[in-house]
Order: sequence, then C-alpha cells, then structure tokens
Amino acid sequence: MKHVIIGSGVAGVTAAQAVSRADPDAEIHIFGAEPYPYYRRPLLWELIAGSIETEAVFFPPAAWYAERGITLHLGARVDKIDPQNHQIRVEDGASIDYDRLLIATGARCFMPPCPGNDKDGVFTLRTLDDALAIKAYAAHASRAVVVGGGLLGLETARALQSVGLDVTVVEYIPYLLPRQLDSEGASVLQSILEEQQLHVITGAATAEILGDAAARAIRLQDGQELPADIVLFSTGIRSRIQLAAEAGMKANRGIIVDNELRTSAEDVFAIGDVAEFEGIVYGVIPAAIDQARVAGANMVEANSATYAGTLPTTTLKVAGAEVTSLGDCTADGAEFVSFRYVDLPGGKYRKLILRDDHPVGAILLNCSDQVRPVTQLIQSGVDLADYAEHIVNGEFDFSALLKKSAV
Amino acid sequence: MDKWECMVCGYIYDPALGDPDNGVAAGTSFEEISDDWVCPDCGADKDLFEKVG
Repeated sequence: MKHVIIGSGVAGVTAAQAVSRADPDAEIHIFGAEPYPYYRRPLLWELIAGSIETEAVFFPPAAWYAERGITLHLGARVDKIDPQNHQIRVEDGASIDYDRLLIATGARCFMPPCPGNDKDGVFTLRTLDDALAIKAYAAHASRAVVVGGGLLGLETARALQSVGLDVTVVEYIPYLLPRQLDSEGASVLQSILEEQQLHVITGAATAEILGDAAARAIRLQDGQELPADIVLFSTGIRSRIQLAAEAGMKANRGIIVDNELRTSAEDVFAIGDVAEFEGIVYGVIPAAIDQARVAGANMVEANSATYAGTLPTTTLKVAGAEVTSLGDCTADGAEFVSFRYVDLPGGKYRKLILRDDHPVGAILLNCSDQVRPVTQLIQSGVDLADYAEHIVNGEFDFSALLKKSAV
Repeated sequence: MDKWECMVCGYIYDPALGDPDNGVAAGTSFEEISDDWVCPDCGADKDLFEKVG
C-alpha cells in the first residue's frame, strides 16, 4: 500500500515510523516544503544560544529513512489535494497517487497586525531558517524585545540573553505563561527570571514598531518606548489548514479529525498542529506523537487504534526554574476546587485542581520529583474526596497521596 | 554500554544514569528497558531512539 505524508516535522516523521512498524513492506513518501530533512525544533533555542552547531539539529541520518522504506521529497510543497481521485499535486506540477494520505502540515506563527512589523529585525521563530536568521541578526544586536510571555517566548528570551543581549519580555495578559500558570505561580517564576536580569512587562500591548528600515524600538499602547534592535513575536500559532479546506475537508481552527484521526475525506488522516480533535488543537509534541501512533496504525489497518486525547503536559526549564503544567491547569469556575502551596523565598509553587473531587490539573514549579506522581494521580482519575485533608493540612505530598489512594 | 538519542527532542539515554524517575535503574542498558518506556522529555516511543555510541 502506498502512504503519502504531507509534512516532514515530528508528526509526519513519527507517523511514517508507525506505518513502517505496522507494515514493514509499506511504500511511504514524505513531502516536505522546507529544503531540510526532519530537524528537532526543541533544539532551535540551543542553536540561537550558540550551545550547539547547526548540524546537531538534524537527526536521524538518511539511512534511517531508507531502512524503513521511506522516501523523502524535500523542497516539495504540495499545493493541491484531490480526495476523489486519491491524488496530491506538488507545486512543480507533478501528481502523485496515494492509497492513504496523512496531512501533517503543522502550523505557522501568528504575527499580530502591528504597524512596523515588516521592518528588519522583526522575527517569528518556527523554522530552522528563522533560527539561523535570528542568530545571524543577534550577532550585531544589543537589545531585544520578545512579545509574548508563553513557553516559546520565554525560551527564546533566554536564548537571546545567553548570547549577550539585554532582553525584555512583553506579555499582554497580566502574568507570564498564561496557558500554564495562574497569577500566583507566575509571580514566583517572574521573580526568578528577574533575578537573572530578564526584564518582564505584563499587561502590556504592542502599539507600533519604530525605526526606519530596521527596528529601533517598540512603543507600547501606554506610550512607553522600549529600545530594541530585535523584536520577536511569540504570539501563538495558526494551523495550516488551507490545503485541506480547499479540498473540501471539514476544518475549524484545525482540520477536524475523529478518534481514529480521520478527516472528513475518505482515506485522508490529519495529525499534529494542523489537527483539531474534540475542539482542541493541542500544538505540543507529545500530542503529535500520540496521534502519529494511532494514525499510522489506522492507515495500515482501518479501525485498529483509537485516540482519546493527550494529557497536556508542558515543561519550561530555565536556570533556576522548572515549571510543569499538567492537564486542565488554568481551570476556573464553580465546579473546580484548587489547593495551593506557595513558598516564595524558596521559589516553589504547587497547585492541584479538582473537579467533583477528581484531580484534573496541576502546576508544579521547582518540584520536579512530584511530576510523575501527579501525572499518575490525574490519569488514574482517583477520587480524592477522602484525602483532601492531606492536601489542606499542608502535607501536600503527592507521592504519599498516591500510595494512600492505591490502598 | 551505548548511549541512545531521542530523534524527536535530543534527549540522550545514558545507561550509567538510567531513568530512575520512570522506573529504569542506573546501569540498565537501552536494550533492557521495557518496550512501553517513552522518552521522559517528549514522550517519543522507544523505537524513535537511535544509537549514538
């Protein structure tokens, strides 16, 4: 059977692996718009920081693909899908037949419509080319503003700091990591980052980027001007749904997929940052891998695997701070009850969120030994009604709680 | 014993260290780890690791 995968990122490549594992004789083709084979996006910050060379982002070696019957087509942008005829068309005009098609085209960065965002020195970070351009530009820059205080924004800010730039992070929401933290946890993180000379301005929106051909400063909506040779927007992603939408597939924010990762078109699957499952575009690597596993199995043999969602887990590791967010960690509302432990001088923060006495989310700042027990606690769906006192009386030891709940 | 590298995120499994947080004792060779073990950093399957010597 001939499997065609559009997208050479983590979703596409891990799905190719899953297909070849389920059917070692499968014919697999990956079409990637970028000129490079798969590279590891999580290493792009290290590339900018100068702690690794460009070659180190590439992995696995070419032989890995050949051994699995995978043919790579690089610099080959697919510009049309024809589900009726089971064909795709590559930009240069070639048409390729498929038995099963997987769309793993990922996402692009969202650049807010801000005057001056076309000046030199204004960047988003998504691809290897983006990272190389930022690295080259940073060599002649001294000040940077990162717009967006989410995970990627903070990682990028730290990378730019480590090559000697004076960096300010500007976040629209009144606190950092709004998707992973609450305001209390974020203030602990912010003081850790500020101790390391990272400037943070929250509750602020960008009005304009100033300068002639090149960025010189950004002006915030309150009138404040921040000098900046580099302005990096880290303001979210948008799924690349266009190909699928033009082919008539159902799409919302992402391409809508069912619990076998099938789109609304026959024999066409979608996974990763481009896929929307039960209203969620996960946009994180663990979800892409989970989905690749299921889609790969179903592409080889229909109805052989189902997907039930991924427990969203994100970890930010910067010097002096390790933030892990699990599940529904920013849930708010009458049906949720949360328990908190704050140790500001110690730089520690923990929060557990319950719904109907069941744990649904957690935030752990500098408590890495608790990540595994808390993950298990959430996944087990255990009823914590009888153990809530162990939480409120200050013990807050998840490991002990897990042992008790297992009895 | 060989080190193995995660092709997804770059995590390196070092047998000398193991992965005690996930039940793999120090001194366990990569081959001896159970097949349902996943990358502690990104969740990639064990067969998404390649030997790096």
